Amino acid sequence: MKFDTVIIGGGLSGMIAGITLQKAGQRTAIISTGQNALHFFSGSFESMQEPEQRVLDLFAEAGVRLHYTPGVRLMPLGTFKESALSLEDVDLFPTPAFAKKVLIVNFTGYHDFFSSFLAEGLEKQGMSCRVRFLNLPEMERFEQSPSEMRSVQIARTMDRVWEKVVQEVRVLLKDEDTVILPQVFGLQDTSVPGRIRQNIPARVIFAGTLPPSVPGLRTQILLKQRYQLLGGTYLMGDEVVRAHTHRGVVHSVATKNLDNHYVEADSFILSTGSFFSKGLVSNPFEVFEPIFGLDVEFKEDRNEWYNPAFKEDQPYMHFGVKADANLHALKDGKPLKNLYVAGSVLGDNCPEFGTAAGKAIRTALHAVDQILKK
Amino acid sequence: MNANEFDVIIIGGGITGAGTQRDCAMRGLRTLLIERSDIATGATGRNHGLLHSGARYAVNDAESAEECIKENMILRRIAAHCIDETDGLFITLPEDDLGYQQTFVDACRHAGISAEIIDPELARRLEPSVNPDLIGAVRVPDGSVDPFRLCAANMLDAKLHGGQVRLHTEVTGFIKEGDTIKGVHTRNRQTGEECDYYAPVTVNACGIWGQHIAEMAGVKVGMFPAKGALLIFAHRVNNLVINRCRKPSNADILVPGDTVCVIGTTSTRIPFEECDHVAVTPDEVTLLITEGAKLAPSLSSTRILRAYAGVRPLVSADDDPSGRNISRGIVCLDHETRDGLKGFITITGGKLMTYRLMAEIATDAVCRKLAVQKACQTADIPLPGSEEKSYEAVAQKIWEAPTTAQKAAASRMGTSAARIRTGNKRDDALICECEEVSVGEINAAIDRLEVSTLTDLRRRTRVGMGTCQGEFCACRAAGLLAKAHGCVESERTDLEDFLQERWKGNFPIGWGDTLREAEYTQWVYKHVLGL
Repeated sequence: MKFDTVIIGGGLSGMIAGITLQKAGQRTAIISTGQNALHFFSGSFESMQEPEQRVLDLFAEAGVRLHYTPGVRLMPLGTFKESALSLEDVDLFPTPAFAKKVLIVNFTGYHDFFSSFLAEGLEKQGMSCRVRFLNLPEMERFEQSPSEMRSVQIARTMDRVWEKVVQEVRVLLKDEDTVILPQVFGLQDTSVPGRIRQNIPARVIFAGTLPPSVPGLRTQILLKQRYQLLGGTYLMGDEVVRAHTHRGVVHSVATKNLDNHYVEADSFILSTGSFFSKGLVSNPFEVFEPIFGLDVEFKEDRNEWYNPAFKEDQPYMHFGVKADANLHALKDGKPLKNLYVAGSVLGDNCPEFGTAAGKAIRTALHAVDQILKK
Repeated sequence: MNANEFDVIIIGGGITGAGTQRDCAMRGLRTLLIERSDIATGATGRNHGLLHSGARYAVNDAESAEECIKENMILRRIAAHCIDETDGLFITLPEDDLGYQQTFVDACRHAGISAEIIDPELARRLEPSVNPDLIGAVRVPDGSVDPFRLCAANMLDAKLHGGQVRLHTEVTGFIKEGDTIKGVHTRNRQTGEECDYYAPVTVNACGIWGQHIAEMAGVKVGMFPAKGALLIFAHRVNNLVINRCRKPSNADILVPGDTVCVIGTTSTRIPFEECDHVAVTPDEVTLLITEGAKLAPSLSSTRILRAYAGVRPLVSADDDPSGRNISRGIVCLDHETRDGLKGFITITGGKLMTYRLMAEIATDAVCRKLAVQKACQTADIPLPGSEEKSYEAVAQKIWEAPTTAQKAAASRMGTSAARIRTGNKRDDALICECEEVSVGEINAAIDRLEVSTLTDLRRRTRVGMGTCQGEFCACRAAGLLAKAHGCVESERTDLEDFLQERWKGNFPIGWGDTLREAEYTQWVYKHVLGL
């Protein structure tokens, strides 16, 4: 198999790169293990100030509607966080005191949506809150098995029965100006959050649940559909086991599923994520990049990897693969000519691209620009 | 008589204190237990969880060995739901002296411990994880014991016998009249509330912290703080306890327990100031893994869940820098005869295995002071939850066709599992998926077992003890606690404390999958949930 570009890692970064390259007429493949940071996406893109039009267009064409409204967003435990670029169903407010009277609606028996924490957080901001629980017959089947009451299972049902939620909320609603619902709407049918808003006579806000994140999964589904519609080859549930490199050039990679068949390409993008997605792997002595054995920036003394305080910044989270200014991966101090690094596998390297989701998008686009310049 | 007057006040909510309260309460005394933190937070909850046969002490400390085997047999009867009767092996490796085996077996038999030399081939069959290079093996009646469960059951039984318990309450001073202790001043560390309690006898059962309490009372008890570090692995690789058949040394015991196994321990003398925050060092971690892999080679490729350390409450005897040669023997001091201070007893030394005997000795001393003549019954009457021996039978009796989660609950609570609200799907919903802990079990713990924080709840139910280390269940359980206590604000801090406590045990072994899990948890709580 021969491609123009092979992208290793199907998270936000890999998907953005794949879509952009396909649009530019390239033949590409994305090799994805299936686990990536979109599964616990908060709905806001961190460090994404003044997004370029082409970023907004790219998401819009995939059906992911974004808005850029610098302000604060409500977090699932009732706190607030500054954000700017967000998914359409994540609201941003100029100040935390965004309402006067709030109705918080949860489902009976659903422990992954923190209605009492939300109420307490909002009351601290001077809002008055009422928490109510819905009992829908459609939810009863989740209670058959004690671990079924989770965001994705509920979201699948809600695509069908969201109108019942609207009816029940309308009955519950008294004089509240705002209703808060869990983010379990619009997994497949993306029109649902908007239609709920149209049909409830109060402002509707969707607050996050425990992962998996329904808006994150929806974003992943839409980006993947867009990529495949553009003719991209998405190798789901596969992983690269080794790479063939010669004189500073990557020729091909071998994957677990395509046993002994090398996937060749002119260019490669490494967007395998950090520790969670196994883009970075650690043992008691070192942190390494498992596919190419690239140079990794990390502290030699393991005592310096951690801050003993859980809530403080953790040094290990800044470790990552080294790259030059044009994102060429470094191996033994030398750049690999056709291997580009994008997203969180970089750690804190290349800080000019920002952090988190913002960095994932910017580095992906920069890598793509380099590839298309050739 | 006033509500704050008792027959006996027991300071310390470890297994010795809880056991002493149970014994005193069963002999009809009005008891109060005061603990500055939660039950089982000191050495009680920071050891192997080994149900010693006594074999480990047989050669060097015959007295301890005899106490161990006697208590071992008693605990099998009275604490069935806290005990796993696994048996144990003492293995000889090629680098060990096989000649020691006979000395060991003779000493065991002398102490009344059944010790059977078995063929290495049989040992490999009985315990497939054992180092296949072993050249000798002896089978002994070791087992494993859940110290949290044991401590909670003792406290519960004391309460069922009218005892009162004040957790998260510290003793700030003694009420003294002349040469007599009349009571204690206390302060609740959560509410700040101060309260005085009175009793003709006060028992100091504070383990290593007993030195400080004794000082506060005006007497001197010299303790020897010896730190022991241990590692918990994420799988139960062995089914029998594995020990090295040689003189006791570092990291030579591997104990299976629930779904995990524990390797330990080290022994290092530490200064007193460190007792409240002992940390496991990278060197200790390396030593534990290296030595552990000699017992069961698969440990070197098994994920480590957590590192932790405890402080043994040894009583100073000589200048031995390691603390290993000090007797683990029980020390009961009547300060009236020893120091001329009336109404004050210290019970210390000993170990988890001999807690019941320690409690009996302490209670006998209390009864002598109060001129009460009642015999001890703690060796005969089972603890609440232990009335039936097999948890499977218990689960079947309660649920007819129990689910795996219900069986897990029965294995944790024994017959007390009958108190879990059930038949209602909402109570059956799982909060902790790793350990299969349901809403009903958590509410049952909140109802009867003095739970005020998430960490307390973990000690009662194993919530957050599994492979995810509380990543998801912590905030689910926080929601239930907030509801039960009617306070959300404090629950937010509690959730932070719980995650901090988990991280403390994770970062010393923070690599591989542990680091992956930690990165996920840290990212989710900070950036997604907004803690």
